Amino acid sequence: MIELIATAESIDQAEQLLEAGVDKLYIGEEAFGLRLPESFTLDEIAHITDKAHAKGKEICVAVNAIMHNDRIKTVIPYLKELEKIKVDEITVGDPGVIHLINKNEINIPYIYDAQTMVTSANQINFWVKRGAKGAVLARELPYEELKEMRKQVTVPLEILVYGATCIHQSLRPLVQNYVNFTKQNTKTDKDAGLFVSEKKDPETHYSVYEDINGTHIFATDDVNLLPFLDQLVETGLTTWKLDGIFTKGESFVEIAKLFVRAKEAFINKEWSNDLMKSLQEKLESLHPEERSMSAGFYTMDPSDVK
Amino acid sequence: MRTITKKPEVLAPAGTLEKLKTAIRYGADAVYIGGNEFSLRRRAGNFTIDEMKEGIAFAKAHDAKVYVAANMVTHEHDAKGAGEFFRSVRDIGIDAVIVSDPALIEICATEAEGLPIHLSTQASATNYETLNFWKEEGLERVVLAREVSMDEIREIRENTDVELEVFIHGAMCISYSGRCVLSNHMSMRDANRGGCSQSCRWKYDLFEVDSSNQRQSLLGGEPTEDFSMSAVDMSMIHHIPDLVEAGVDSLKIEGRMKSIHYVSTVSNVYRQAIDTYCKDPDNYEFNPAWEEELWKVAQRELATGFYYGIPDESQQLFGKRRKIPVHRFIGQVLDYDEETGIATIEQRNNFGIGDEIEFYGPGFTHLYQKVEQMWDEKGEPIDRAPHPMMIVKMKVDAPVKKYDMMRKKR
Repeated sequence: MIELIATAESIDQAEQLLEAGVDKLYIGEEAFGLRLPESFTLDEIAHITDKAHAKGKEICVAVNAIMHNDRIKTVIPYLKELEKIKVDEITVGDPGVIHLINKNEINIPYIYDAQTMVTSANQINFWVKRGAKGAVLARELPYEELKEMRKQVTVPLEILVYGATCIHQSLRPLVQNYVNFTKQNTKTDKDAGLFVSEKKDPETHYSVYEDINGTHIFATDDVNLLPFLDQLVETGLTTWKLDGIFTKGESFVEIAKLFVRAKEAFINKEWSNDLMKSLQEKLESLHPEERSMSAGFYTMDPSDVK
Repeated sequence: MRTITKKPEVLAPAGTLEKLKTAIRYGADAVYIGGNEFSLRRRAGNFTIDEMKEGIAFAKAHDAKVYVAANMVTHEHDAKGAGEFFRSVRDIGIDAVIVSDPALIEICATEAEGLPIHLSTQASATNYETLNFWKEEGLERVVLAREVSMDEIREIRENTDVELEVFIHGAMCISYSGRCVLSNHMSMRDANRGGCSQSCRWKYDLFEVDSSNQRQSLLGGEPTEDFSMSAVDMSMIHHIPDLVEAGVDSLKIEGRMKSIHYVSTVSNVYRQAIDTYCKDPDNYEFNPAWEEELWKVAQRELATGFYYGIPDESQQLFGKRRKIPVHRFIGQVLDYDEETGIATIEQRNNFGIGDEIEFYGPGFTHLYQKVEQMWDEKGEPIDRAPHPMMIVKMKVDAPVKKYDMMRKKR
């Protein structure tokens, strides 16, 4: 069963994505969740959840931040609210949150999501034994490793099939510090649209921004696994995430539709190379002009990485 | 008079057996080393089992502990042999392993029962509930993330009784440890499997893209400067009272790749500062000589990281570097003859007659000496000691001890 999960940047977009046919929306508040297109209040989350449930769709809320003491204290009240709202699941990356969920008998299934640190079946099974209902895979995993992992894990493994991928999180305001040093007056938030590039490889363009969780840097290529969806289906990696953090509004909804079309094609056994190529062409035209795409680590040989 | 009997441990890095012994002679209560497998510092001269055995015997004789870092984040197949590895280090008497990967933690807990586990800073533990989680999993100690402030440490201490370890000196990841794969993406080297290429210290352009998809560089500020993430190093030498009073159990020095000059100097300084404070905390006075001593092995500016606030631009390596006078490590004392006042020295760097030499030893002893007479091993007078590891004798005006080190300002 293929499941399509998409981020949402507004209530409007959330409704459009549900209409477009995604199965689950991934939303949250930035005090608890990492790198979201938009930070939603509990009221907004409740509103979106009702809309989703009315359509038989689900909501996953991001609770995957690295929490310091001040925030870990507010997690339980937040989770209790989410429980009332009846969100379907949450992502969690901090073992402190897992400790609290188990201690307080919070009845929301959680998906383990420690970003770069989710790289083997045994790690995931460690968290499954402690209650995790699934895991979000790191993006630094070649297909050969994903295949091995899939064989050894029984819970769903979420894989990013479209969107930006974070490769660095610092609690330091790295851009603001630079801006201060050079006495400039530049915004450093997500909407500022900043990039860095390597001096020795000027073609690179790593997105960078700051928020309350620190500074985030993203890979130069956004992930696109559209050409490999058949392989994913065959392998049993069918929980697909679409991340619209840098793909705005209508374009992201249209991209989601392409993946919905792909999903239907698999269900109806009509996936073909021609369909893939036509979807791929449309995807390329919808993807933001200033950004590039590739399969990232997916197509690498495990021995390529030292 | 108040004294503090429960002193925090001084935990020093030991990339080699020689560094292990040096660190312990110079005051470390414990050292951490790398095994040949599962360690994050692949190039840090990791220990074989036989070398570990010798290190453990030495440590035990000096009432010190040895921890093994096995802090890689494994991919499929990487954990193969981990159970055997943990059992073998347990059976030779290693005091604890430092691990971040839950898969390795589980293997260690189930296949090498009785071997204490410390959670590596790589797991970025930043709150007391996380520590409570790991305590319930059976871990003995958690190395806190370097992003945790002094106030947060105090609060963590009040809310958990698992042992706390914090970094007090050395180079630092600019990211939350473990949450950076710049190196993977920029160099195809896995940062979490010992391959980090330190991309954070590279130079970058910073730009925005305008409406016609053209790059507009933001490097045009004043002063002109490339974008970089590189941070200054950490030193908490000014804040030993805070660390002791916060109830931290272990104070960790970074640098398994660093020299015996560094290891001996830094261990010596922190040993001295902690002992001084704990002996008579109410009349404690900071000794500026400690800081001067640390500067002799510093590679970068020193600051306090996240302990007293979010680091601003002054804690990043922007602009012209301050010139840090280089002190060159030139030798180690092998023997001293009280009757003749002649020291036997193993050379580590070229030195000779006329050089102003500084001897330093465990217990923060210092002796300044101008080289006036030198002889080679055969007793022939020489002007210089140019050969690495050559044995020389020299006259000193005051006693020195075996294992004292020698440095000179370049």
